Amino acid sequence: MNSRFIDWIWNIRGSLALAPEQSSDEAFGRLDSLFRQIGTSHDRTKDTLIFRKKDPAAQDKMSVFNGGVLQIEKGAAGPVLHYHLTSRALLFCFLAPLLFLSFAGLTVAIGKLEKPSTEAASKNPEKKNVELPQNPIDKALGAPAPAKPKKDGTGKSEEDDKKPSPTSAYVFAAIFAALYLVGRILEDRLVKTLFKKRLLGL
Amino acid sequence: MDGVRVGKRLIGTQAPVTVGWENIRRVEGGPVKQFVFTWFQPTMLFALIAFWYYAPNSIAKASTAVGIGIGFKVLLLALEWVNPRYESWRLTWKELVTDLFYVAIGYTVLNLIEGYIGSDAVIEAALRSFDWEKFAWFMALPLLLQAFMISFVFDFGQYWMHRGMHNWYPLWLTHAPHHYITQLNINKGAVGNPVELFLIGLGIGGFFDFLPRAALLAGTLGLAVGTYQHINVRFNSPKWWRFLFNTTEHHSLHHSQDYEATRSNYAGTWVIIDRIFGTCVDGEAELLGMEGGRKMSVRETMTYPVTEGWKTIRQRFGRPVAVPAE
Repeated sequence: MNSRFIDWIWNIRGSLALAPEQSSDEAFGRLDSLFRQIGTSHDRTKDTLIFRKKDPAAQDKMSVFNGGVLQIEKGAAGPVLHYHLTSRALLFCFLAPLLFLSFAGLTVAIGKLEKPSTEAASKNPEKKNVELPQNPIDKALGAPAPAKPKKDGTGKSEEDDKKPSPTSAYVFAAIFAALYLVGRILEDRLVKTLFKKRLLGL
Repeated sequence: MDGVRVGKRLIGTQAPVTVGWENIRRVEGGPVKQFVFTWFQPTMLFALIAFWYYAPNSIAKASTAVGIGIGFKVLLLALEWVNPRYESWRLTWKELVTDLFYVAIGYTVLNLIEGYIGSDAVIEAALRSFDWEKFAWFMALPLLLQAFMISFVFDFGQYWMHRGMHNWYPLWLTHAPHHYITQLNINKGAVGNPVELFLIGLGIGGFFDFLPRAALLAGTLGLAVGTYQHINVRFNSPKWWRFLFNTTEHHSLHHSQDYEATRSNYAGTWVIIDRIFGTCVDGEAELLGMEGGRKMSVRETMTYPVTEGWKTIRQRFGRPVAVPAE
């Protein structure tokens, strides 16, 4: 299978038309500070710049990317910058829902394994009913009188309450799926804007 | 760098820090912005206390507290957007995703494990054998005094655990990854090695649908005060607040790149505990992290205590490598 079918997940490609008179040297010079960050190394030939980032700082404007290639080609209307950037963070966020769905599955499986022992353990002797005290100050200020926990007043059995719940894992799986979509679109736009600002001074 | 003398210590010789409240910037902007960011903290604190004080028993339960906690954090994220303390601490997509990953680990795997061997198991056992009559004296105290006592005693324990982490190498190995964060945002409190989160007991649940009202009130103190440790918002916190409570200013010093500054402000909620034991430094810092601000990846954060511990053991007890003589 051609990796291009799936590599859009963690790869961002794009191009940007430069000003007709802008040379490769001038264009890369304007982008230079982006590649002089902690944890960033880069190699430049005449029309190509290859960079790599290892654990970039949160303040690095391109911290979401781990590496990439920027190439300036001569087009019919003038020079064009083509870029191909890879992001492990995007891949990580894409896979995170699967991780949390597997945690949800694990939680459900543990809950099923647990059931017999919980039933045995739930036969606790009832304790005698004791009135819980309330300070007169709280009574005067109108705070509700304290109540003891109900054994099964809410309709749910005690075992249901004690069973580990997979809900939070499902919720986080959904959150990461949504964040992936936001990130894939947002980071694509942000890096384009960043290059545009530096190269065209917009 | 000369640093500033605080008691017997010189703070800020390795990295820039600001010491003293009089040197800390105030909220800038129009009268509405000034008003909001001056009164937000005390208003929310007293509103939440009033809510838990008067909420009917059917509402005053742990699941409501979890819901309020999530809502409050979303609100604070919005405030980070409106009035950041430092532009360099702005939340990016990548930072948000990474922070939420640690939060999610806490709510899922850690929570599951805690149910068996962590604080939740202890709480569960305590609730099963809880003899209400023995605690009648405590429960007869005014509710707010009960809440204060629970919060203060819990934070006192956290203070010593945290101070222990900064002074005893095996514990430090679990806490060190948290100190590699280079900015403070709402969910940064969850960033760190899971063993540390387990030790500090950040897991939720355990009490299921029942918590004494005083414990819910104590929890709200943690939410409406402790949450501000990791936040990128500038507030004009009142003087009494700064004297009693830990603030983002205090905690940014604790996370600064200056070693001496990190050995201060250990408490979670009650910075007055630091004042009592002489470890409080009032001030703030922008440059945070370790090793000059090196970012630690998620993978390294997960493995750090083991890999770094193993490195140290090998250095200390490993067989020296024979060097052939020339």
